[in-house]
Parts: sequence; structure tokens; C-alpha cells
Amino acid sequence: MGLFGRSGGVRIDVVPQVVRPRQTVTATVSVDKPLDKVTSARLEWGYDNFYRYHWAGRADSAAAAGNDTLWMAGEVGTSYGSERDTDDWVCVTRVEVPTATSEFTQASASFKIPSWAPGSSPQVARWGCRLVIDRGGRDVDERGEFQVVIGAGDVDAVEEPMERYMGNGDTEIDIVIPSPVWRAGDPITGHLACRPQQDLPTADIAVYWQREREHHPLERYPGQGGSLDGPPLHLGKKIPMHGGTEFGLPFALPLPADAAPTATAVHSSLSWFIGARIFYSGFTSHQIERVRRPIVVVNAL
Amino acid sequence: MTAAQPPAPNEPPPPQRGQTLEERGRDVSAAQAEVEAETSKVKQYLKAASPRFLWQMAEGYPVVLKQFIQFCLIIIYPAWIFFVIFAAALHVLFYVTVYPVLWLLFWPMRAYQKKHHPEEYAESQRKK
Repeated sequence: MGLFGRSGGVRIDVVPQVVRPRQTVTATVSVDKPLDKVTSARLEWGYDNFYRYHWAGRADSAAAAGNDTLWMAGEVGTSYGSERDTDDWVCVTRVEVPTATSEFTQASASFKIPSWAPGSSPQVARWGCRLVIDRGGRDVDERGEFQVVIGAGDVDAVEEPMERYMGNGDTEIDIVIPSPVWRAGDPITGHLACRPQQDLPTADIAVYWQREREHHPLERYPGQGGSLDGPPLHLGKKIPMHGGTEFGLPFALPLPADAAPTATAVHSSLSWFIGARIFYSGFTSHQIERVRRPIVVVNAL
Repeated sequence: MTAAQPPAPNEPPPPQRGQTLEERGRDVSAAQAEVEAETSKVKQYLKAASPRFLWQMAEGYPVVLKQFIQFCLIIIYPAWIFFVIFAAALHVLFYVTVYPVLWLLFWPMRAYQKKHHPEEYAESQRKK
């Protein structure tokens, strides 16, 4: 502990370091030397929730619109720089530590991870046990971190319908997967069923994963959500598309090994999709087709 | 979407989540909302010319920055008045010069729509 160190010689050890929902973690607080003049002490179990918010003025004000059109003609409508990443502490359970002698020496508490807990990831949550001590001298605010991983048994996923988000349906596309739950690092296996509704030009067909992050802070004005498309897995180029036929294309699409689990937290949430797209060859009036099916990504067995 | 399993009886309930961009709706000041809700164009320009409209463009900024922006907005208020008058003049100019030409040019099309698609025509003429 240096001259300006903030830890005050407080250590929080959390065991186990990696847990799953419905399991119990225990935090043990130890101090180098007893803290005196303590008025209150509490242990909070919860997570730091990462999200993006709009900080600069009102998002849809006339000034913002004017700013976009006049000064940032190159990036019309982006209001570049007016959003910011941040995190807020979400307390799930609070444990008061008795401080009858106004001296703090040690504390310990255990916590059962709730079944709805969002998994730890840099996009959504960083779980931890936080010690807050109000005292006559310098206050203490320390946290011990642990990781929550989500297993396939922890989610109760249901089959969700397909969603078309681009194109006019010249080809009916169905993404057929055996289960809606997939583990990070594993390939998603399934097949794509395509039914061209009419004779169409040859097509370039690919599948990809899509990760969508949404921000919904309690107080601040939310930032724009965003979706990230994974690298496309080409299933074939120049595929003939005869009207009225149906064909299937099997695929094994790898999910990134560090994929963040699907999660819903207080200020932000993360959802995953498997998408498919069709590019028709030639400069014709056939639009690009894009469909997607929601999946649930977990990161433990 | 995840449809996480229902909370067990002995665990804390999930905390209330916030609202997304779509659920919140447009983020504008009270003065701007008034201007946008105004149907009369003349009143819209008059309301936009009020110092309150300009002043409230500083809303939502962090403290200090907000006061500085309000200060700047007061200074440029004469320029704002000039801008509003200029915009209104352009608006009037459009209705005096270009609009009558277009109105004449599209007469046959309007007459056709009025005869063959009376409902659609009525809808297109309705004041929004």
C-alpha cells in the first residue's frame, strides 16, 4: 500500500472464482490492521453493469440535428462523440456487518447466485462482492471479483420464430437447428432450407452469427444499440435457384471461443442470432435477403 | 428472449430493468416538443423564434458545460432570430415561386386520382 493507495490494506477473497447460477460463493474479508472509527459496514453482492449512454444534451434536439447536418456532413446523423461507455453497480443483496465496537476486523458472507443472473462478460456484467465501510477516516470501497458462467442447464430457452430483416422474400429461407442453445467455441450445426418462389438468378449463400447489444439504463438516456455480424461462412456461390424447388445446405458455423453468454441485466442486454443471407448475381431488381433466428449462447457445459 | 427460468422462492427477484431507445421515444426539450406539436406554420416559426426554444437546446448537458452553452446561446440569439426570419422567408418564397408551378404541373395527376381513387385522394389532402 503506497502513500496514495486506496485499498487500506483490505483484501476480499472470493471462492470459488468461477460459479454458475444457483451455486454459492463465499467472500472472506481480511484487513492488515483493524479499522477504527467505523460507523457502518456492509457487504454488497452484485455486478458492474456495462452500458452506453447519451451524455451530450438531448439526443433528438434541433441543435443535435443541425449539428449533424451542418458540421458533420461526412457522418450525417451520427452525432459522433455524444455517447459514452460506462458502468453502474447493481446491488442484488446487501449484508450489514455488525460494527458494535466501531472497529472492523473481518467479515465473511456467502451468496447464492440467482437463477436469472446475467453471465459475466465485458459487454454486460462483472460480478463481485463489494465492501463499503463508512468511517471517521478514509472510507473503504473495495471489491472482490468472481465470474459467473452460464451452462446449458441454466437457461430455459424456447424455439423462437425466424425473422426477416432485409429483402422481400423471393426465397423462403428456414434455418433449421436441432437446439436453440449453443456453447461458445462449439460449431453451430444445422442446415439451411431454401425455397425459391420463382426462377431467380444464381445465388451466393452464407450463414453468420450476429450479436446484438441493447442499452436500457434506468436513468440516463440510452445510447444506440448495435449488432455485430460474424465472418460469413460461405455455403456456395453460383447456386442455381429454380422456382418451386427446395434444397438444403448443411453448415457448421463456429462460435467464437470467448463469446459472451446471452444475458439480460438492468442497464444492458446481449442477444445472439444465427443469420443467413442471399446475394443474387447480376444487377437485377432482386434484393439481398437476410433472415435470422434467435439463439441462446452459453459458456459452460 | 433468454426466458431464464422463473426465480426460485428463496432468491431475490430480478431487479427492474430500464427502457430501451424505442421504449423511451424521442428525447426533446419541452419547448421543442411544443414547436413540433404546432400545426400552424406561422405559429411554429414564432415559437421557434422565442428565446426559450434556443435556451433549451442546452438541456441535458452536464453542469458547467450547460451554463456555458446557455451563455453562448444568449449571445447568438440575434443571429438565431436572423436565421429564423431567413428560413421563414425561404419558406414563403418556395410557396410563391416553385409551389404554383408544381401545383399546375401535377394538376392532371391530381384530377386522375380524385376521379379514380377518391379515398386515397382525400387522405393525401388531409392536413397532418
